Amino acid sequence: MPKSKRSEPLDHRKAEGIKMQQGGGSDTEVTWEDQQNINKFGRLNNRFHELEDEIKIAKETCDNLEDASNELILTDEEVVRFQIGEVFAHVQKDEVEGRIEEMKAVTSEKLENLKEEKESVLAEMAELKKILYGKFKDSINLEED
Amino acid sequence: MAASSSSTAADSSAMVTERRGIPGAQFVEDVQTYLTQSGLDVQSALAFFQERLQQYKVVEMKLLAQQRDLQAKIPDIEKCLEVVATLRAKKGTGEELIADFEVSEGIYSRARIEETDSVCLWLGANVMLEYSVEEATGLLQKNLENAKASLEVLITDLQFLRDQVTVTQVTIARVYNWDVHQRRIRQATATTAEDS
Repeated sequence: MPKSKRSEPLDHRKAEGIKMQQGGGSDTEVTWEDQQNINKFGRLNNRFHELEDEIKIAKETCDNLEDASNELILTDEEVVRFQIGEVFAHVQKDEVEGRIEEMKAVTSEKLENLKEEKESVLAEMAELKKILYGKFKDSINLEED
Repeated sequence: MAASSSSTAADSSAMVTERRGIPGAQFVEDVQTYLTQSGLDVQSALAFFQERLQQYKVVEMKLLAQQRDLQAKIPDIEKCLEVVATLRAKKGTGEELIADFEVSEGIYSRARIEETDSVCLWLGANVMLEYSVEEATGLLQKNLENAKASLEVLITDLQFLRDQVTVTQVTIARVYNWDVHQRRIRQATATTAEDS
């Protein structure tokens, strides 16, 4: 007669923040709706990490553009070497200023949108956490480690 | 128990069974039913799911690599479009475009680009073709749209794949828990039988 296995938290999983734990042999059944909620949480979590990376890059771009326009103000050259594609074209300072302003506007709008999306993703994840913890309590772990 | 098994397959019909070569993970409504239906014992079932998980991982690696390639390609095409647009803007002004370009790492040289009606595009495989500025813009635009569309499809594939991975992982946990639960019950009944 095989000995009963000791309680061990199940580590098969690793769905980036989702862990089904051994609930002491408890029998909370997982329905298709639960599974869909779990899937959705996983997807949102992935998107959240992607957004964090994208936000970081957008912030850096914003900072660089800010530095560039500051440098422009300080310089007394009339012609600036402005990168277009892989080459540095000689462009009039005024035109460069205009271009940089435009790029700054585009990037900050992008940054705003990313931040908004991140907020909404976090809110949805919080909702799902309530639902899933509500049903499964200790049998599920939705935290980052 | 046997009667309910046929309806379980119909219940999972909300799921897609496969997508572009990626097998869908069948959702298990009830562990007991699944094991009886498939005729597998717990160990074999767990082994099967683990293997599926490995296969999914392999596909995921491949898709992620493709995604990285596309994500690098798109900014490249956008840069080309920008250059062509700049050349087109210079046309008619009578001005030359003076640019510093990289000859080798850290070494730059100056080029004077006169007004031109055509550009050469690198098509890959050691082939470069001359196009009019309008044609070049059109071609690059089309390439950009194709790349973006492929990326969309790829991202949806990855989402589908990740869902199947999650379903499989949850199923593994449930089968494992069910097994432990069963053993506990058997243990409990065995001890009560001994005591009586």
